[in-house]
Amino acid sequence: MPSKPEDIMKGFKLNWMNLRDADTGKVLWQSSDDLSMPEKEHEARVPKKILKCRAVSREINFSSKEPMDKFRLEQRVLFKGKCLEEWFFEFGFVIPGSTNTWQSLIEAAPEGQMMPANILNGHVVIETRFFDGDMVVSVSKVRIFYV
Amino acid sequence: MGLLSLLRKLRSNPDLELRILLLGLDNAGKTTLLKVLASEDITHITPTQGFNIKSVQSKGFKLNVWDIGGQRRIRPYWRNYFENTDLLIYVIDSADRKRFEETGEELTELLEEEKLAGVPVLIFANKQDLLTAARASEIAEGLNLNSIRDREWQIQACSAVSGEGIKEGVEWMTKTCNNKKK
Repeated sequence: MPSKPEDIMKGFKLNWMNLRDADTGKVLWQSSDDLSMPEKEHEARVPKKILKCRAVSREINFSSKEPMDKFRLEQRVLFKGKCLEEWFFEFGFVIPGSTNTWQSLIEAAPEGQMMPANILNGHVVIETRFFDGDMVVSVSKVRIFYV
Repeated sequence: MGLLSLLRKLRSNPDLELRILLLGLDNAGKTTLLKVLASEDITHITPTQGFNIKSVQSKGFKLNVWDIGGQRRIRPYWRNYFENTDLLIYVIDSADRKRFEETGEELTELLEEEKLAGVPVLIFANKQDLLTAARASEIAEGLNLNSIRDREWQIQACSAVSGEGIKEGVEWMTKTCNNKKK
């Protein structure tokens, strides 16, 4: 029998997120605060040099107590609310009592098209929405500051 | 290495999306291998209690690599991840001789799965850096790999920790994926 929506939501926890230079695999930022509070907007202080990376990966780690059949996420990178980039990913089944990671890697815009850090600073939000089918399971928002 | 370079090599494949599934017993080294492919640090790897996915996208082409935990408790769920697999990587701890039979049984079951029918399989005989590791030829014989007739397969000796044999495995993967009937 499928789990009840409230049990799925209660049993879902976003554990951590990180950003890496995808060429070297080095972590440039890793979340420190508890990301499990979905309504709170989190802040990430990321070294400016991330904008020079040819490719950056974003990794999220989450746990689910309940099984899910149609788990998917929508991740958007927003600049002043405008979508610069989006990923839709279908996981399908999620194992009950599991902890999982998903990492997405994308090439950066060519150097000439990359906006400078002082313009982006504080205006970029990574928004990740988790669904089981059509039901929203959790939402995470991380605002990026370039330091 | 790096996943973008892997993606670039695979791009001559006719599909726009490629799905690679990594399976094997617990402690075989699946997650380590995945991290090595992504040039990531491998010093803090813990047993996978679910899945690890890496998605790479470049110029409209997508690669998804799925690493599913190998613990006994998790293995019954493997079947949920078979669909649309383009390539199976099966990882074996070559030094874990006590479990050769067990890993052989799991592999045999996978090869009998309808949803994985015809899917090429790359077997990594991992942990060759350990003194007690069995050679790939010995494992191939023990698992009777020569009886596989219904798909392309390859066994590759490797050490995810030292990097030995990974390049060769990747070359086989790219060759096999790119040769897929267009």
